[in-house]
Amino acid sequence: MTEYDSITRNIEAVVEDTTLPRRLKDRVYKTIDERGGVTTEQADEIARAVQSQYEDTRVDPLDPVGTVSAQSIGEPGTQMTMNTFHYAGVAEIDVTQGLPRLIELVDARKTPDTPMMTVYLDDGYATDRERAHEVVWAIESTKILALGDVSTNVADMIVRVDLNKDTLLERWPTVGDSDVIAAEIAETIEDALGVNTRQNGTAIEFGPNEPSYRELLQLVEQLRDVVFKGIEDVTRVVIRKEQLEDDEEEFVLYTEGSAFGDVLSIEGVDATRSTCNNIHEVYKNLGVEAAREAIINETVNTLEEQGLDDVNVRHMMLVADIMTNRGEIESIGRHGISGSKDSVLARAAFEVTVNHLLSAAIHGEADDLNGVIENVIVGKPVSIGTGDVKLRMGSISTDGGQPSDD
Amino acid sequence: MVDVSQHELVPEHILLDDDSEVEEVLEEYNIKKTDLPKIKRTDPALPDEAAPGDVIKIIRDSRTTDKAIVYRLVIQ
Repeated sequence: MTEYDSITRNIEAVVEDTTLPRRLKDRVYKTIDERGGVTTEQADEIARAVQSQYEDTRVDPLDPVGTVSAQSIGEPGTQMTMNTFHYAGVAEIDVTQGLPRLIELVDARKTPDTPMMTVYLDDGYATDRERAHEVVWAIESTKILALGDVSTNVADMIVRVDLNKDTLLERWPTVGDSDVIAAEIAETIEDALGVNTRQNGTAIEFGPNEPSYRELLQLVEQLRDVVFKGIEDVTRVVIRKEQLEDDEEEFVLYTEGSAFGDVLSIEGVDATRSTCNNIHEVYKNLGVEAAREAIINETVNTLEEQGLDDVNVRHMMLVADIMTNRGEIESIGRHGISGSKDSVLARAAFEVTVNHLLSAAIHGEADDLNGVIENVIVGKPVSIGTGDVKLRMGSISTDGGQPSDD
Repeated sequence: MVDVSQHELVPEHILLDDDSEVEEVLEEYNIKKTDLPKIKRTDPALPDEAAPGDVIKIIRDSRTTDKAIVYRLVIQ
């Protein structure tokens, strides 16, 4: 049964009988419902018309889909912002947008310019601000300056850290005693810097093993980089309340910097929805298929943010399919897809012509002339569209026999 | 460890352990096994019992149709 009252069982039957995708069927129901008073016969006609339109939009055999996709993404690409580094997107987190982002995606850069994660929370955490903050502290890297003051006593060769009691209790909500937390911090300092510390309440003191002014300053420098809690790569976490469909609200975390694998296993994180804008991290943690989805999502979002949402998804899907075809993410370009083509001439036509021709000559490579570029180079018809159809003139004998070849 | 298959980005991966099913697929597309898209043996979404040479059936929640069924060949 559909959600619409005016859709009778018969109308539903004729619509369901078509080979339309679910989404289109739902659109048909919605439209019929809005118009009102549609008979079964009319509904049948509508469904058939939609289906024939749908079938018309399928590509023809030998259609050069790759070329069409390249054009369809390339043209809107010319209208995109060359450079934007503004606080766009969500929650004041700086993300690369427009053309630079699109290039980054198809180049399959190992780390994006502005890595970020969208972290959804599990049931008990998503609606409770306190508990959501617990997750924030578990993710955001906490350095010494966020916890207290660091002072240097040059006369006694001592670095003194005065920890803020309230901050400690806030950031370690599971431990109730600030002295215990301070001890933990002192231990981290000992491990990281290789010094002996003296702890007194929330104050920690330590100095270089050998009295040395340089050493002392170096210790302070190193201390600033030590991560006491959270994930080192995540520099900032923004917590945001988001409206759900059914009037409910939930907290969602946006992070600057990413460590997808680590975050997924943190308690309270919803490991079924959280995502990351680094396609390589998605690939590593969730596999090729997820990486394919991520590439599509990211490219679609990049285009949409620039107001170029009328690019058909199929183009992005094709790009993502090609990039993940060999079971891992490959870039589109000299080091990836274009560089691994079978044809020597096709590779030579793309970039660094001489190197390709030279190495092909050394290895005695042959070119089967199956692709487009090779055939353009040698002046043969290309093997797409009508160029791939071999026609021969023949005649049919009038007595109804088989057509002959001459 | 996180259950990867539960993530919304990960479609269902099914191991085709019946050779006749694989044959059917190859016949339908008129291709060799090695022409299929690949999936690495180390892929986190892969069913545990899959070995190189196996064919995986993937049921994607497609953007353009209901469900899209694709196949990948497990490689080293």
